[in-house]
Amino acid sequence: MMNPATSLILRQMRAPLIVIVTVFSIATLGMVLIPGIDENGQPWHMDFFHALYFVSFTATTIGFGEIPYVLTDAQRIWVLITIFFSVIGWFYALSKIVSLVQTPIFKKAVIHANFRRNLGQINQGFYLICGYGETGQDLVEGLANKENRCVVIDNNPDAIETLEVQDYITYVPGLEADAKNPSQLEYAGLSHPLCKGVIAVTNSDACNLKIAITSKLLQPHIPVIVRSEHHDYEENMKSFDTDHTINPYDTFALGFAMAMKSPSLYLLNEWLTGVPDSTLSDPVVLKEGHWVLCGYGRLGKRIFEILRQLKLSVTIIDTLPTQRVDFHRCYPDDKSKFILGTGTDADTLIDAGIEKAVGLVAGSDNDSNNLSTIMTSQMLNKNLSIIARQNEMINKDLFIASKADVIMHPSEIVARRIRTLLDNPLLLEFLQECYQQSNEWINITISSLSGSINELTPHCWTNTLNEEEAPAVYAALSKGRKISLKQVLKNPILRYRQICCLPLMIKRNNDIILIPGDSEPLQKNDEILFCGISQAEIHVSQCMHDIHALNYVMSFKGTPDSFLGRYITGNTRQKRRTDDK
Amino acid sequence: MNLEKVIFSFFMILALTLNFGFFYGDVHNPDHHNVYELYAVIVINLIATIMKFGDRSQLGAMLLATSLVANVQLISAAIVWAVAEHVGTVGVTEATMATIVSLSGGAVLANIISVVLLTLEASMLRH
Repeated sequence: MMNPATSLILRQMRAPLIVIVTVFSIATLGMVLIPGIDENGQPWHMDFFHALYFVSFTATTIGFGEIPYVLTDAQRIWVLITIFFSVIGWFYALSKIVSLVQTPIFKKAVIHANFRRNLGQINQGFYLICGYGETGQDLVEGLANKENRCVVIDNNPDAIETLEVQDYITYVPGLEADAKNPSQLEYAGLSHPLCKGVIAVTNSDACNLKIAITSKLLQPHIPVIVRSEHHDYEENMKSFDTDHTINPYDTFALGFAMAMKSPSLYLLNEWLTGVPDSTLSDPVVLKEGHWVLCGYGRLGKRIFEILRQLKLSVTIIDTLPTQRVDFHRCYPDDKSKFILGTGTDADTLIDAGIEKAVGLVAGSDNDSNNLSTIMTSQMLNKNLSIIARQNEMINKDLFIASKADVIMHPSEIVARRIRTLLDNPLLLEFLQECYQQSNEWINITISSLSGSINELTPHCWTNTLNEEEAPAVYAALSKGRKISLKQVLKNPILRYRQICCLPLMIKRNNDIILIPGDSEPLQKNDEILFCGISQAEIHVSQCMHDIHALNYVMSFKGTPDSFLGRYITGNTRQKRRTDDK
Repeated sequence: MNLEKVIFSFFMILALTLNFGFFYGDVHNPDHHNVYELYAVIVINLIATIMKFGDRSQLGAMLLATSLVANVQLISAAIVWAVAEHVGTVGVTEATMATIVSLSGGAVLANIISVVLLTLEASMLRH
């Protein structure tokens, strides 16, 4: 059927067009009927062709003059009338078109039509991202720049406008609509056959819950990843098979516990899941001793729980008396001090024992307060380890300048987690395996990792040895050739050079080989997790894809692919075979 | 009675009747085919076409299509006439006239379909 925008403009254009046709036809008819005089003084009638020509250039104010012959006065009277009516009619139609294009309903119709066209042009799997706030922006940037297709839906027109001006590698269509409304969610691409995942990262848990319910009911096979900040919503989402719920506070608390118990494991985690090509984070040493906890909100509660399990002394500072009541109800026999205050002034901090403390958590939901707490504390105690909660993206530089040891930004944590989940699920499995390894093993891994990367956060990627992702290796293995891991890690341009990367793990059926050795023979359908510099990914994939590159690194004499090459070698081989006989 | 329907039907039927009037007569004979009548047919057909703009139903699309066909046929006829009279040296010959009239004959057919569709739609309405 007809596009709604076109239909709308056509319907609105009926009246002006009819006016134009009527005025033009009457004017033309008049010009034909009124007699004129030719150059010899003979009576003369304009025919329709000339009359239409005359009216057209008069009505559009072009005005070539009185052609082909000078007009009589009778004709001039008619032309006068014609000019007034036709010029008015013409301008009326033009202004109507201009005003139509500017009406909000028409603009909306055009935007929707564009969105549907862009959605129709997507020919590979895409993610439907609901919510384009800080998390959404971070996530879309990471996904789109890795050539994943995304579609964004947000009910805030400003957010969609921000999206329009972004310059991602792949085009990201955005729709201003309410994701809570199932029909709008379907319209935005939920029912599209190529939709391969729904990611709900709006700022409201209730909205995320609704999105998860909608997609699980309408398209049960599509995986759903949801951001949730409250436990009751999280339980609710898990109750109907939401594939992943990500709670930034839980995720961070897990990382904090890791940093307390095993700093090297934390460092490995930071390196592998960090934003590729950013500066490599330094090891963080969190000491055991007295801790000051400013802000007993969602983050503060979780960190307190960890510190309590480690049997460390903690002083809590929070402004809300209700939080204190809550604290005493949860831990009736806990001796920790709970001070009411913002924690931004020196008195409160000294009262909390900041001078003898080893660590500070600035975890309120107000960035200015957190920064103020950090600055005051640093003046009172130079050797503090500082954990800072950053609430808004715009304050990023301030937190970096504050020299906090660990910066916790909920949006970034969620975006990073989702990216790893979508891009590289094998990496999460690897990290899970690492939790069970000894500290010594992790230290060895870190040192071999730093040997194969430069000063930037490495890239992690997975190659599966199947026909699509590694056709060359797959074909070679199918022919029975033996390939070891060492061989695909040679530089396809200079084979005596190693590619700067470290294979972290091979997943073969359900077995897992951590840090496989160089001589590990490859098998079909192995999933290999690599980690290295950005160049390395290109080189490895070249060896995986290109049979010539693979032959070269394996020092294997290849067969030519071109017709001429095959013709020549085919002949010589045949000759050799006959010679052998 | 709906005034809008009356005007709409009026233009469509007028387009057909005028068109038929022009078409009727000896194909070769310029005397049987009046240039004013062709002019009126074109104008009325254009108005009828514009009135069908923007209807999103299947029937609306069909009606618009038939009108567009009639317009293409009639405007081609007018162009043939103008070219024959002003551009060529021979003027309007019998063969040219036959071309013009048969082009308008095609338009008659399109207009008949249009009116039949309109009648069908009207008869399907329940009173």
